Amino acid sequence: MTERVANGRVLRLVKGGPERRALDSGQVDAVLDRETGTALLLPDARRALASAGGQIANSLLAALPRQDYQGLLAELEPVTLTYGETLYQPGERIRHVYFPSDSHVSLLVLVAGNKALEVALVGREGMVGMPLAMGVDDSPVRALVQGTGTALRMKAGPFRDALAACPPLQRELYRYAYDKLAQARQTAACNRFHAVPARLARWLLMTRDRVRSDRFHLTHEFLADMLGVRRAGVTNAATDLQRRNLISYHRGDITIVDRKGLAAASCPCYEIVRNLAS
Amino acid sequence: MRPKKAKIRSSGGTVTAVVVMRLYIADGAPNSVKAVANLEAICKKYLKGSFELEIVDVLEFPQRALAEGVLVTPHLAKLSPSPAAMVVGNLSDRRSLLGALGIHE
Repeated sequence: MTERVANGRVLRLVKGGPERRALDSGQVDAVLDRETGTALLLPDARRALASAGGQIANSLLAALPRQDYQGLLAELEPVTLTYGETLYQPGERIRHVYFPSDSHVSLLVLVAGNKALEVALVGREGMVGMPLAMGVDDSPVRALVQGTGTALRMKAGPFRDALAACPPLQRELYRYAYDKLAQARQTAACNRFHAVPARLARWLLMTRDRVRSDRFHLTHEFLADMLGVRRAGVTNAATDLQRRNLISYHRGDITIVDRKGLAAASCPCYEIVRNLAS
Repeated sequence: MRPKKAKIRSSGGTVTAVVVMRLYIADGAPNSVKAVANLEAICKKYLKGSFELEIVDVLEFPQRALAEGVLVTPHLAKLSPSPAAMVVGNLSDRRSLLGALGIHE
């Protein structure tokens, strides 16, 4: 829900009396909505909770000087991203940029209508919507949520303004852009030369790094798109890794059983990109 | 959970009937954090253990809060002794808080 819609709703719910007085004097954190059976957090409370305990989950934002980050807070809106949700289609105008906190987003290039290939994975280390930082309004890729979780999002206009006014943000974003370029170069070579099981191992490790758990869920379709192979190719590669006791893969539920072994089985791109990004 | 029906001594501002309260908050949100701090300070100073406080997080139990007539948080409900009373906001208004709790300085 956008801030303006939420505010309008709040004002309709709290019409008068001591509750309205408390609301007007800024002493209220949340309003109970009988219609939806939920508590609506007021914007200030939501922002405070999003940066709770001074811990900023997104490392790009965390790298900013505190003051610069505080300056962005008014425009950063906490949202929940859900597995399978599309943030942009190729060619679509970018309306928001997203800084994932504990969610992550796949960027996919679409080829020949419905074939897809994942070209990047964006988690708490980065931002979705990089074209906007480069002065490009439209997304060249599909941004698809791969891991459910929270993120902070900012509208395109305020983001452009913030970028123009904040050199530290520029520096962080350009450094991140360089990391992604290096990642893309490596991925191009990887897709061309490395065997599917080794590439699967790499993507599983990248997902693990972003989710920060050895267990996660990825469907066959997702993996097929990630690797640019058919489902049978995914099954073969996953079976291969499972036979080597590196993972267990059952109906989309993946458990990394032997991380060191999986890293050894992965193509070198995993380590190369990881070192570039740190 | 019956409050003791003891006589209320009026000297020194102490109340000997057990004050039963429920505070509805949004866990971690700024006004809620203040409300908890303000209430705990008052309880420590004036109620000295003769109180029961339940804290309900409306983010976790919104339905319960709605069922109990809560509209905004923070919301303090004094349940006992009667008369029941309520205060909303961050409870930094000492006078209205003490009044609601039946504490006379």
